[in-house]
Amino acid sequence: MKKLALGFVTAIIVLPIGCMAYFVLGFSEIRADAKPSTLETAILQSAVRASIRRSAAGILNPPPASDDAVIAGGKLYVLGCQGCHGDLGGAYQENYDLYPAPPQLPHFGTQYSEPELYWIVKNGVRMTGMSAYGPFYSEKELWALAAFLRRIDKLPPEMIEKIRPKKAGKNT
Amino acid sequence: MKNFIAGFVAGTLVLIFSTLIYLRLGLVDVRSGVPVPYWTARFLYTCTHASVARNAPKLQNPLPENDETLIAGGKLYLNDCVGCHGEPGKAPSDFGATFYPPAPQFPRVGTKYTEAQVFWAAKHGIRRTGMAAQGSSYSGPKLWSLAAFISRFPNLPPKVLEEIQQNPAK
Repeated sequence: MKKLALGFVTAIIVLPIGCMAYFVLGFSEIRADAKPSTLETAILQSAVRASIRRSAAGILNPPPASDDAVIAGGKLYVLGCQGCHGDLGGAYQENYDLYPAPPQLPHFGTQYSEPELYWIVKNGVRMTGMSAYGPFYSEKELWALAAFLRRIDKLPPEMIEKIRPKKAGKNT
Repeated sequence: MKNFIAGFVAGTLVLIFSTLIYLRLGLVDVRSGVPVPYWTARFLYTCTHASVARNAPKLQNPLPENDETLIAGGKLYLNDCVGCHGEPGKAPSDFGATFYPPAPQFPRVGTKYTEAQVFWAAKHGIRRTGMAAQGSSYSGPKLWSLAAFISRFPNLPPKVLEEIQQNPAK
């Protein structure tokens, strides 16, 4: 019985120290231009999702957004987000320059609710390329972005045309 | 001995499962725009340095060591890096501060990395940070000029800084 307890305690002490030593000695791969493994993605993505669900739980659903708000949010997306998250109305292309890769929202949409999207844009996601935009956008803009992102993969073409008029040049 | 091994295995399983449960319950704070606690920052920077030191090949910068190289790198820096890493002679970047970990402000603090390491980090990016790999956007020589420029912060020749600020690349 004593031996059992000793083995248990040894594992609890040695494993965390071993893990830390692995990182401190520089054995971990650090390059960003690679595709994360399925296991890593599964574990970390569910952790992020759970944390966001928990953090944004107290935020009330906003009243249904008007078309104008969605368009305003879309314009913010075109200016500030699509460099990493994919061109609105553009061809789907995965971006493996950042690790983890930023989700290609126009193609896949999002599982998050509007309050959660508002929270993510405002606070960012730690240890990813997603910085916090709270200091740069007003509350109104954050909610407009959230409303737009919620609908990003289901927008009718006329809405996309209003957000991103074709005649206004190739890129903004 | 058998009991010891059984205990060790049990401890291992408990650690793994409690970590997974902790993650799964959403107990990890994922907010980005907050200061990194001192020891966390020490740990992260130490690990990053160690990994770069271990993995980056010790190459010689193939470009001539002159002001022209620095100016070419500086123009690239002003075009593409200042948004997060800060502009020489200006206040630190507010945007760079909203990442977790935040983007290092090279013009103020310089860098501990060698030229070859800056080249490698710029080319491949740094995993689990906002630092994207630039290898798909810039050629090797361009990244070498950038590495020469960045590794000389904060002691760049004033002539070079003047030149890049007066004649930025389009």
